[in-house]
Amino acid sequence: MTISETNSPFIALSSISKAYRTRAISVPIFDNLDLSIEKGEFVAVMGPSGSGKSTLLNLLAGLDGPDSGDIKIAGQRLDHMGEAARSAWRAHHLGIVFQFYNLLPMLTAEENVELPLLLKPFPASIRRERVAKTLDLVGLCGFGRQNPSRLSGGQQQRVGIARAIVSDPTLLLCDEPTGDLDRASADEILTMLGYLNRELGKTIVMVTHDPEAAEAADRILHLDKGAFVERARVMS
Amino acid sequence: MRSTIRQITAMSRTTLLSIPRRLAISLSMVGSIMLVVCVLSGFLAMARGFEITLQSAGSPDVAVVLGGGPREEGNSEIPPDVIRSLMATRGDIGVLRNDRGVPILSREIVVPVEFRTDPDAVGETLALRGMDETGPGVRAGVTLSSGRPIQPGTREIIVGEQLAARYSGLGVGNRVRLGPVNWIVVGHFSSFGSALESEIWGDIDAVAAAFNRVGEVQSLRLRLAVTDQIDGLSRAAAEFVGAQLIALTEAELYASQSAGTARLVRYFGWPIVLLMAIGATAGALNTMMSSVSDRTVEIATVRAMGFSRVSACLATWLEAVLLSVVGVGLGLATSWLMMNGWEASTMGANGTSLAFQLVVGRDAMVEAALVGLAIGAVGGAVPAFAAARLPVTDALRGRG
Repeated sequence: MTISETNSPFIALSSISKAYRTRAISVPIFDNLDLSIEKGEFVAVMGPSGSGKSTLLNLLAGLDGPDSGDIKIAGQRLDHMGEAARSAWRAHHLGIVFQFYNLLPMLTAEENVELPLLLKPFPASIRRERVAKTLDLVGLCGFGRQNPSRLSGGQQQRVGIARAIVSDPTLLLCDEPTGDLDRASADEILTMLGYLNRELGKTIVMVTHDPEAAEAADRILHLDKGAFVERARVMS
Repeated sequence: MRSTIRQITAMSRTTLLSIPRRLAISLSMVGSIMLVVCVLSGFLAMARGFEITLQSAGSPDVAVVLGGGPREEGNSEIPPDVIRSLMATRGDIGVLRNDRGVPILSREIVVPVEFRTDPDAVGETLALRGMDETGPGVRAGVTLSSGRPIQPGTREIIVGEQLAARYSGLGVGNRVRLGPVNWIVVGHFSSFGSALESEIWGDIDAVAAAFNRVGEVQSLRLRLAVTDQIDGLSRAAAEFVGAQLIALTEAELYASQSAGTARLVRYFGWPIVLLMAIGATAGALNTMMSSVSDRTVEIATVRAMGFSRVSACLATWLEAVLLSVVGVGLGLATSWLMMNGWEASTMGANGTSLAFQLVVGRDAMVEAALVGLAIGAVGGAVPAFAAARLPVTDALRGRG
């Protein structure tokens, strides 16, 4: 797959409509939603519960599809892809950071980090090398053999971030990455995300309820009843 | 392709490593499969042991002549004039003859007798076979393991090793009551564990007199000149039209007897095993659905990373198959250790007791293993598809 180098935005959602349906009722989430995010941007998405934040992340991750509208990321139409193609796309272009880390408890930290590399044609030696470098990058050098349950919340989230970036994806989706952490640990994670954005050029979309966390982003989008209220913010 | 294999390997590893979280239900699946394997191999071992015991009793060197039409001794009857005519036959009928040129044969009758270890005990029906002095010698592989042979015309008996081992009252020198008279045990005979060892042998005239069957003969035993060559005797037997004689090798006789009983054991066993297998399959399905439920977040997490549906499906299915492999292994080991060589007895010909050993052979083990594996494979299929179709977004939302 190649990444489009045209002038179009890195992420472009246009006229997205999405509703959740049960047998009896249909609950609209988005109605003609548009969104553009440039390559290398760090965008925070805030909003009350039920405003569509998680649905937006699921659409961007290709885990869910829109009822109508286009989703174009890195020049590729996600809404045109089948299930297998979207899995392959996620494996190559996407890293996801979860609120509750979602580490596999039966694996060590380095085995968790290695998982996305199994989707790529790397030999074991290269995988080990990349895992070690990535754990070093997130400040967990020497913790690779630890089981996740023996790590603090902040350390577990750093393992989660290492897992998300180990395959060098262009896009990071963060679902409340500091939601389960104390303030100090949350600040460490936000600093790390800022580093990944500024120094490694990762495009980051972060859903958060925490205004302080949102302040780490270049741009904060307020989502309310399926529509964006945008506030410009300039990084110092 | 390599990536797919790595995905399946990684997911299978995480799946198997997570089994301790649901150990109890996983063990219940292993246990139910083990039980099915044990029961099936038990039935098959019973059928096979019965077959082997009866088939080993029959020799292709020995001919049996039956009269009256049926292919079993119980309802057979051979008129005395037919026996005299056969003994007087001078042509080559394919049987061994003595120094005087007379075919070596043994006239025989089998009488079911009730034997009690003590007067208050429940009697067990045993086979008392009356035979000529030539009877033991005509048979292949029969040896006197203790005592001495029967004196013709006396109420002396020799007892098969298996019966002697089962009933202490049948020791050499003991006096036992069989039917209306007492008999003296003068020896024990061995026939390599075959069905013959479940019989008591006595003199034909003494047996016939004791049970009011003087002059009756149910079968003739003759030694064939050439192994399995029964054509000459069959032709000679066919000349006695009125007596409806049938000549067959002892091997054929016992094979036809064993086939019916072994088939009955299998026909009885398979429905039971299939019912148990259906239950075990439902159990396996339940276990594996629990596994999918337990691993929902893990499956959703790796699927969100880009792992394929196939890997989620196969990892779940492999867990089911591996648990069934454990169940099969334990089931086979248990059945082999507990049942192979186990002494059993059943009703043989004439309603008499027949001792045999269960044989957990390769065929029985393969059949039982295939049923056990099928339980895992079928029971794991639906949950495997459920794992593949797991709604990732719902699963991840549920975690929060």
